[in-house]
Amino acid sequence: MSIALIALCVLWLALIAYAVLGGADFGAGIWDLFAVGKQQQRQRQLINQALGPVWEANHVWLIFLIVGLFTVFPSAFAALTVALFVPLTIALIGIVLRGAAFIFRTYELDESSRTAAIWSRIFSTTSLITPFFLGASAAAVASGKLVGPDGVARANLGSAWLSPFALTIGVMAVALCATLAATYLTQEANQQGEADLVRAYRVRALIAGALTALLGALGLLLSPAEAPQLWEGMFARALPVVIATMLIGLATPILLYLRHYRLARAVIILEAAFLLGSWGLSQYPYLIPPYVTIANAANDPSVILALLISIGVGMAILLPSLYYLFSVFKLSAPAPGVVKEEENQPKQS
Amino acid sequence: MSDLLAARAQMGTSLAFHIIFSALGVGLPLLLCIAEGLALKKKDANWMLLTRRWAKAAAILFAIGAVSGTILSFELGLLWPTYTKFAGAVVGLPFALEGFAFFLEATFLGLYLYGWDRLSARAHWLCSFPIWISGLASAWFIVSVNSWMNTPAGFVFQHGKVVDINPWQAMFNPSTPYETIHMMLSCYVATGFGVAAVYAFAIVRGKNTAYNWKALRLAMAMGAIAIPLQIISGDANARFLADAQPTKLAAMEALFQTTSGAPLQIGGLADPSTGKVYYAIEIPHGLSLLATGDPNATIKGLDTVPRNDWPIIEATHLSFDGMVGIGFFALLIALLFWLFAWRKRRWLENRWLLWGILLAGPLTFLAIELGWMLTEFGRQPWVIVGYLRTADAVTTAPGLNISFLLFSLVYLLLSFALIRLLLRLARSPFPPIKLPWSKTPYQGETMKVGV
Repeated sequence: MSIALIALCVLWLALIAYAVLGGADFGAGIWDLFAVGKQQQRQRQLINQALGPVWEANHVWLIFLIVGLFTVFPSAFAALTVALFVPLTIALIGIVLRGAAFIFRTYELDESSRTAAIWSRIFSTTSLITPFFLGASAAAVASGKLVGPDGVARANLGSAWLSPFALTIGVMAVALCATLAATYLTQEANQQGEADLVRAYRVRALIAGALTALLGALGLLLSPAEAPQLWEGMFARALPVVIATMLIGLATPILLYLRHYRLARAVIILEAAFLLGSWGLSQYPYLIPPYVTIANAANDPSVILALLISIGVGMAILLPSLYYLFSVFKLSAPAPGVVKEEENQPKQS
Repeated sequence: MSDLLAARAQMGTSLAFHIIFSALGVGLPLLLCIAEGLALKKKDANWMLLTRRWAKAAAILFAIGAVSGTILSFELGLLWPTYTKFAGAVVGLPFALEGFAFFLEATFLGLYLYGWDRLSARAHWLCSFPIWISGLASAWFIVSVNSWMNTPAGFVFQHGKVVDINPWQAMFNPSTPYETIHMMLSCYVATGFGVAAVYAFAIVRGKNTAYNWKALRLAMAMGAIAIPLQIISGDANARFLADAQPTKLAAMEALFQTTSGAPLQIGGLADPSTGKVYYAIEIPHGLSLLATGDPNATIKGLDTVPRNDWPIIEATHLSFDGMVGIGFFALLIALLFWLFAWRKRRWLENRWLLWGILLAGPLTFLAIELGWMLTEFGRQPWVIVGYLRTADAVTTAPGLNISFLLFSLVYLLLSFALIRLLLRLARSPFPPIKLPWSKTPYQGETMKVGV
């Protein structure tokens, strides 16, 4: 196993972390858009509570992914940013407006004001747009139309990422984010004993999950023609993982239906991880099919080694910190320094 | 606008915007840490109220810092893929380490900002330490990359390829100690004077409360400790440049001809076409003395490099003089502050000093912008000195003008919304806060406490 491959696996894990954490943040924004009716205010409140403490940390996985990619595979990163200039620029503007709108909305003094409503709308719309363009970009990579035989990117305005395949995967990414978020929110509402919110998000999770599966199937049908290498790879070494992905995908709605919410949350995370894993395995050993491979894009091994060592040291500090963050706000596990909830707990200011 | 100019304009706007939030991201957490520590130690409700208010402002400023930083990490690739291909191979490591530092900062920030009621007072205070430490580390890592662009090290360039890479040597390149310390100090200077200015404004307007004075004194103490150190660091930087980047120093000082006993030219308009500086104040032998310690030393001028390798001299020179001028103004204010504090006169009443602080706040942020501009303008036409020209680093992707326009609109929107929100927060009374040592919530001295 080459050192570049090890580094790629680490980056892929970061991609999965971004998908299940950052993806759910996008999903929460999407549900914000669909928060209607009598429950609207309470649904938004639950979303705010769920996102508040963690969204900034969740978002850093993306930064980590980007700097990791350009350190380990500098030429591949350069090729991707040229070929995917337009969708990545749009996704970037989406990410920026979304983060800013969330914070502006949270700190707006009068929650019912017009400004707060505008920020709310910006937050939810960009939450929908961003994963679409990120998904379409990923599909464009898999379709193998981005680079020429010399490994140099074809600068164009969109022939590669506007294909039916890329559009399908873009929409599927949106649906997946929505499924992730709805599943988490079901569990959060359940923890707080909000029965009607549980009901609302459970239905949403089931619908979004069905939609994700449908779009996934459509993507699969399109891939022999539009992403031939991905298709071949899926039946070569990735087959067991692909099958596992489908089975796990079936398990989530069953668990939701049976009201095992905590388990459903774990399984949907696993599903996202397997989905991304099967993509990676299917296009191995290519980074950008059909010309840029792990071997021909890898940086000097000494640099990758230095990076891996730094990641090891960094993670040794970071993971306990992240665990602490999540155990204070999200998990019921006891954590040091946490005070017991008092009855008359003042409202968050 | 040409693609190159559009890309440079977009990158410049992005950095000019982000650098303000990075400076606050380094400075504010330390203020928070000290203020909360004082609150807990002295059981002082005013310090606690200050901490809560600053934390609220910090939450908003950090979020904008995080998103504007994301823009930059993307733009490195979207606008300068050739640069990133080169730099990623050599100095990707500090970028990745900065990623970790930012990650830690975001994690503990989540705990800090949302943990007021969930964490014990002590645990909460302890959470502020990783925030300011990783903020400082972030600044160091990122500026080490900029240092590398000025004095590239840790690789061999052979047949158009980067080989024999030593990422640690690249990170600890010759400029690193000078540039990083200068940037880290600048964050404390600007945050200190910036926060002090807010409370100086409140006091000037007649809100002469103990709360405002506490805030002003703490912020000024930070700025006033940092500024003399910053002047010393600036001097070390100039001496280093005389040796390592004489072209940049020549551009900063608008020195066209190599001169022995070179004068210091303050201000003025440098004209590269005639090689003269108009309307400058000249101090004979000043430059030689400052750069080397010998009044008759020979300083290399711009004539030592070919014309097409000249930096943007007019802008570099004026940015440099502006930065230094503000630095000395801030030093003066800091000295007066210490003098009055030491003499225990009723310096509190001195309106001139308050107005000085009020002015120094925005000016020190301007100094950060100018210092960064002189570094960038003074490095041109190179993006990586001696290896890659800015013009060769730009992307081939289409539509850079549109991209620049879009991002400019985003920045305008963010600035407008941010200023509006901060002003509204500053004017509104803070809701009663819970004090760890008392059962009754604290409301503040009067309803109109604060700014």
